[in-house]
Amino acid sequence: MKVSKNELMASLKKAFEGLGFQPGDYHNAADMVVWLETHGFDGFSRLEAALDYLNTTAPIHADLVQEDAHNSVLDGKGTSILLCGSEAIDLIRTHVTPGFSAGLELVNCYNRTFIIQRLVKAAQRNYAFVAYWRQLDYCVKVSITEGAELPEYETFTVTEVLEPQSLRVFCGADLEIIERQYAGYLEFGTLIETYSTSEMLACYQDSVEHGIEIDEALWQTLDDLVARILVESTESSRAGAGD
Amino acid sequence: MRTLVRRMVVENWQVSSSVFDLDEQGYGTVVYQIEAKYGTFSYVLFSHYLDPENRNDRVIADQWDLTMALCEGTVDTEQLDFLRNNVPKQEAGRVDSRVLVLSRANRSARTFEYVVNELANGHQPNVDVIAEVGYLYRTTAAYGSGKLGMADWEKVRTKHRDFARPFAAEMFTCYMLRHFSMQQADYLAAQRAPNSAVFLHEDIKRYIGIGNSTGLGMAPFLINHPLLINQWIEMRETALATVVAASESGVDEATLARLDVATQRVIQHLGEIVTADERQNNANLLLREELQLLHLWLEEQGAVLASNQYVWASLTQYAEQHWHIETQEVINTLLIELYPELVDGFEEQMGVEESHQITPEMPVADLIEIIEDKYEWALAIDFSKHESTGAFWYRSQEKMEPRLGQTNIDMGMEKEMSLAVGRLVRECYDQIDSYNQARGQQNVAHFIMQNPTYSGIVARIQTMAQSHYGDIRENLVHADVLPIHLLRCKLSFFGVSKFDPRSRLWVRNTMFQGAPLISDFGKPFVDDWQFPIKPVLASR
Repeated sequence: MKVSKNELMASLKKAFEGLGFQPGDYHNAADMVVWLETHGFDGFSRLEAALDYLNTTAPIHADLVQEDAHNSVLDGKGTSILLCGSEAIDLIRTHVTPGFSAGLELVNCYNRTFIIQRLVKAAQRNYAFVAYWRQLDYCVKVSITEGAELPEYETFTVTEVLEPQSLRVFCGADLEIIERQYAGYLEFGTLIETYSTSEMLACYQDSVEHGIEIDEALWQTLDDLVARILVESTESSRAGAGD
Repeated sequence: MRTLVRRMVVENWQVSSSVFDLDEQGYGTVVYQIEAKYGTFSYVLFSHYLDPENRNDRVIADQWDLTMALCEGTVDTEQLDFLRNNVPKQEAGRVDSRVLVLSRANRSARTFEYVVNELANGHQPNVDVIAEVGYLYRTTAAYGSGKLGMADWEKVRTKHRDFARPFAAEMFTCYMLRHFSMQQADYLAAQRAPNSAVFLHEDIKRYIGIGNSTGLGMAPFLINHPLLINQWIEMRETALATVVAASESGVDEATLARLDVATQRVIQHLGEIVTADERQNNANLLLREELQLLHLWLEEQGAVLASNQYVWASLTQYAEQHWHIETQEVINTLLIELYPELVDGFEEQMGVEESHQITPEMPVADLIEIIEDKYEWALAIDFSKHESTGAFWYRSQEKMEPRLGQTNIDMGMEKEMSLAVGRLVRECYDQIDSYNQARGQQNVAHFIMQNPTYSGIVARIQTMAQSHYGDIRENLVHADVLPIHLLRCKLSFFGVSKFDPRSRLWVRNTMFQGAPLISDFGKPFVDDWQFPIKPVLASR
């Protein structure tokens, strides 16, 4: 079945609310899922994977475990980027100073692809980012220029010994400065594939024109989560809307 | 509504019925094809028998007299079948991205049969009867913006220039409903009495609008879209400031005379409103009395006023000091209406990109200052008083209808909707203040790391601090909260009139009453229909 972007956003926000997310969190999480799905990053299948975890535990946020002037480490405690991605990107921005970029490592977290949407959103505030993480037997690198609306997405063979569930992010006022300052961290293996911005844009435009294809079972799952925030209707409650 | 009507008339939109398949009872299918300036659209309408027992204006209704869809392009047989299977179901059906708006309407029990009978008997209906109601049908919902699989607002805005302003397509759907309502009345009269029936007089047609019932469902929209509301109000304030500035060197006597005529028209309009709501009746009465004073002032002082510098500033200041808020706002509206050439351009600036964003670099101390400065109204509320948290908003299982519950009496408090902005600001302020005392010199990102549940309200505060008008400065969970004030605010921007509160939770009103007809498109017209008054028929 097809749904519209706005309809999907509304449903996701309420579904995440049904999972116990707070207002800021359910807005951000819904944004992440919709952006990934509408730009060709399999947002729905990643959401299904996340729901397996989110459905079994109360929302958990990351802890700040280490911090200096420009670098920080967060412990995700096994939570999803849907819950801790926003605060990680907010935090790293505060470590950028004129002429100096910042680095952040988020360990023990899942569903890391969702971070792309947070990078894109923060790039609108004139920050540049490079993020990478290990996915199975390859490494994903995402970079975005300050002010850009779409990122560069590439995969490489793995060279560095990366923690399986960690994510590294570098942020600065300029992409070149980041790559120069953190050159030692940004060495990757052989390029496997790229996903171009033109492909992302084409996917997005198609979703606006024709709607977004969603599996009916997933839509039903979202409906079931939404039902958690609804209140049983009674004769007296009907009067609470106008009779 | 006014913006849309101006465009349709000036751009001479062409409307024809490609399908008009009604039976002798007026039930069946109608498809209107619309050639607007930039595109072709189809308005598909299904007319159904509805047992009067089942006629209900609430969101929870599941049957209506009419159901409609506004679609892009033309509609072929296959799509028409698809729409026929889904549009009458409304929320229980699904449509696709070719549909821009989905709507439904119920007949007025007081006017529809009366008008058809009069026409069938060869008479024009009594204008006084029409005036009591103002319409033949009232719409109970006009859904757009992607609901139920429809086209997203982004698609409408970027692809369909004819409707690229907020709610323009929804308003057009109501306008077409008005057109059909009169065409159906004419059709039924002719069916019943082919030899004696007459058509509705054009002046009466112009005086017939579309009714609207608006309930609590609209209230969360205002609270959840503060940037859009801010933009609308900012445009109105900018228009008013522009008009006031135009009176720097005085105004000509013709303009003063136009204001006087408009004032008298509003007085008459208010006198013709029929409502059983005592509060609204008293407000209308007071408004008439104060506008009468304005009329006398203009009559007596007109020649002198013409040479006064900033006469409109003097008038609005006088109104603020001496007259009630409703009078002040009507005067503001009348002044804006005097200068279409100065203000009409603002209608293109009613849209805005909506996004609440955290500014994580902001020092916590700065955020505290912002709250104390911009949310003084919220901090002034004493939430320890029972009545300050006497109500809560929730979504019902029944069609997710927003409802208002009484705290500690009604079920569902634990599932409260996050609409109590004032209380959330208060809680956030208390938390951030104690955080700042314990850990001075920190920024917002660190506060959120420690207190992630506040990220939503912090994003709202930081975003809205850059605007003037978007937040409703009222305790929305007070035991005596009056949601109809919120509904009226949004409806006013649509241009509706004749507010008829049916309770503190929902309001009936009239749309497009006095507006030009489709037969008026492309012809010169006077754009002064915003306060409709009874027509005086030249001949019967």
